Amino acid sequence: MARQRGTDFSSVAIRLFGYFFIGLFALFCLLPFLLVLGTSFTAEKSITLHGYNLWPKEFSTFAYKIVFENPGLIIGSYGVTLGITMIGTTIGLFIVAMTGYSLQRPDFPYRNRISFFIYFTTLFQGGVVPFYLIMTQWLHLKDNYLAVLLPGLMSPFLIIMMKSFVTSIPHAITESAKMDGAGDFKIFTKLILPMTTPALATIGLFIALGYWNEWYNAMLFLSPDLKYRPLQLFLYNVVTSADFIKNSSVSSNVQPRDMPLESMKMATAVVATGPVILFYPMVQKYFIKGITVGAVKG
Amino acid sequence: MFKRKKKALSVALAATLAVSLTACTTPSSTGTSSTDKATATAAATGTAAPSGKIDTSEFQTISYVMLGDKPKNGQFEKVMEKLNGILKQKANAKLEIKWVEWADWQTKYNLLLASGEPVDLITVATDWLDTWQNAQKGAFMPLDKLLPVYAPLTWKEVPPENWAETKYKNQIMLIPEDHYTQWVNHGFLYRGDWAKEFGITAPITDFKMMETYFQGVKDKKPGVVPWDANGTAAGNIGGYINSYTDAIELPVSTGLFGLIYGKSYDERYKAYSPILDDTFVDFAKLMKSWGDKGFWREDVLNYKGDNRSELEAGKSSVDQHHTQTFLGERIKMDKLQPGSDLQFFPFSATRNNLVSMSITHGGTSIGAKSKHPERALMVYELIRQDPEVYRLMNYGLEGVQYVIKDGKRFRPDGYDVQRDDFYSNFWGGRIDKNEIPDGNDWSGKGALYASYDKIKKPYPYGRFVFDKGPVTNELTAVTQVVGQMGPAILYGKAGDPVKAVDEFRAKLKTAGFDKLMAEVQKQLDAFKVTVESTK
Repeated sequence: MARQRGTDFSSVAIRLFGYFFIGLFALFCLLPFLLVLGTSFTAEKSITLHGYNLWPKEFSTFAYKIVFENPGLIIGSYGVTLGITMIGTTIGLFIVAMTGYSLQRPDFPYRNRISFFIYFTTLFQGGVVPFYLIMTQWLHLKDNYLAVLLPGLMSPFLIIMMKSFVTSIPHAITESAKMDGAGDFKIFTKLILPMTTPALATIGLFIALGYWNEWYNAMLFLSPDLKYRPLQLFLYNVVTSADFIKNSSVSSNVQPRDMPLESMKMATAVVATGPVILFYPMVQKYFIKGITVGAVKG
Repeated sequence: MFKRKKKALSVALAATLAVSLTACTTPSSTGTSSTDKATATAAATGTAAPSGKIDTSEFQTISYVMLGDKPKNGQFEKVMEKLNGILKQKANAKLEIKWVEWADWQTKYNLLLASGEPVDLITVATDWLDTWQNAQKGAFMPLDKLLPVYAPLTWKEVPPENWAETKYKNQIMLIPEDHYTQWVNHGFLYRGDWAKEFGITAPITDFKMMETYFQGVKDKKPGVVPWDANGTAAGNIGGYINSYTDAIELPVSTGLFGLIYGKSYDERYKAYSPILDDTFVDFAKLMKSWGDKGFWREDVLNYKGDNRSELEAGKSSVDQHHTQTFLGERIKMDKLQPGSDLQFFPFSATRNNLVSMSITHGGTSIGAKSKHPERALMVYELIRQDPEVYRLMNYGLEGVQYVIKDGKRFRPDGYDVQRDDFYSNFWGGRIDKNEIPDGNDWSGKGALYASYDKIKKPYPYGRFVFDKGPVTNELTAVTQVVGQMGPAILYGKAGDPVKAVDEFRAKLKTAGFDKLMAEVQKQLDAFKVTVESTK
């Protein structure tokens, strides 16, 4: 551990101290997840009797059996979510970056007014009913995956974030490129984009997570007539319907079925997290940089 | 500049013209074919009801909005295929179920109606699906003229006083589920075997006997929490009021539990709050003593466990829920805790204070934008009245989902829930005469229902819709007080009960409870006038 300069006692102590606390913190972050994992493999009866356990007292895969009752459906849902996430993130990233960049170019005359309009929507929104009407009656996007894809493409927050990041790139670069004969689009793709990788990684992760966790728009616009719907909606449905069947007070004739509710919640959580855990390490190094740079520049 | 303005103006003019044109054409374009149009207008005006001549020459697809999750195991499609074969033959139509799933159904259901999507049949309920609010917004088609022609059996079957319950502005908005018996009056589910052990031989009929039972569990069943209640549940106050007064709860939501009741069935237009008289003080004292005796856990207010699975695991001796739940649990408990002899103490047992379920707890309406309301009603009539269609809709295929033995329904041998399960959640017009009794029903069900039938009174508030408008602020404030101070009193954790109740009442007063009560009374008076005018 102490190979380099810090061989003296205080340095070692600080390191020990640091590792200890960071380790402890990491443990605190990890424990809940392990608890989720453990509970998802516990028999429901054992949960009622003994509560949640890290290590299942009575091992059972019943919860997963219910979640995967129909393997074709869950694989299809994974596919839909993956597709939407990948397409959405690629297009969204491009559009957000372009908007953010344009909005801070000093030679863009109405930049402040347009920025205000974008900012304005974060303060005042139309509400659910107008949104629903526009999507279904005007754009006719009911039961269309675009209904999930389009609203997630841009968000005012990400545009503002991108804008403040691009501010750190001197305008002189744009101007000199222009003098060398590059067009605006070329400047953007060849010069600006490569310089904003950390911001792109951060924003990309935000967009990707947004799509990955998306269920509300899917719930509103994708009816069950559609065979495959996004994963989160699928899982949410599994849990809510189990919950509903268990505690139905409005509909007295729902057929009661044995539902391992507690362990099932955990199982869905595990199923939903899987790929994100695999995905995160790949963007991690950019992510940290992007967050801090964005924060410093405000 | 001027030119552009002129152009904009002409566009605007064209737009208005288009809008007004479509507005004009909408009412008459209900039918898709010209012949249909003729019958529709005839039926709508009611002047010349076609004498038994209903045109079904054109094949139509009728949509029906159901609440629930779309079945995924393929059985549903098989049943629908068979059902649609019959519908094609009898009404030249096809039924297409559209599901509103439990994932956030509150939002989605109302959005569907607000968006003006053309739906034909739709499940409605005045008490949990905001039917009156949606009717106010014009979401449904008035059925007065259509029913006698296109659903004559149902039209005759539902008595006029029940049709009166379905009217908004003197027009029928829905077909009620008024010929189907179901009970959702609440009570305690308790273990008969333990009760006997503690010397309770008669069925429990009041809170005092309940206390004896709890004490027995506390003393003789170590490791069992007598009532492992959840601090967020407020069934005990409603149950106590039901047991010790004749009051009937009004559909005015005050959050955690209801504060506003009708005085009694005879004085149903008199607003009353048991919270303001001795009932509530007595209740608070009793709950304090129950809490002190350890009938529930010390941390009841923060506890979020599942009482029912604890009962099933033998870890709790009571669950508080409604009759229908009891009937299901009874069978389940016989399997999970053999010999437990689960019993039910309905809160109505103490002084026979029982009102029926609202007949509009389930119902079916036709969407205002429906393109073929006539055929939709014909399809509804078939589902409700034709035994074959009814059974397909509710039970599935004979031999696959059920078999009949001695006039009762059983699961066929080798029935697998995941593979064979079928449901259509048709809660909009079930009817006792077409039901086949479930062979697995608890044998005591008939006696329980009969005991209810002896004392039941019709639900008086099916059409009472409280307009919150004038008292929104007061209602919000009162709801907050109930949510903040309620749980502690409900589970005896508020210290001295008399003082706690006084404080609760004082807070309510500050929140504007008096004004709220006055407003309820005012609206009840108006309600009385409408009820009496339509009788």
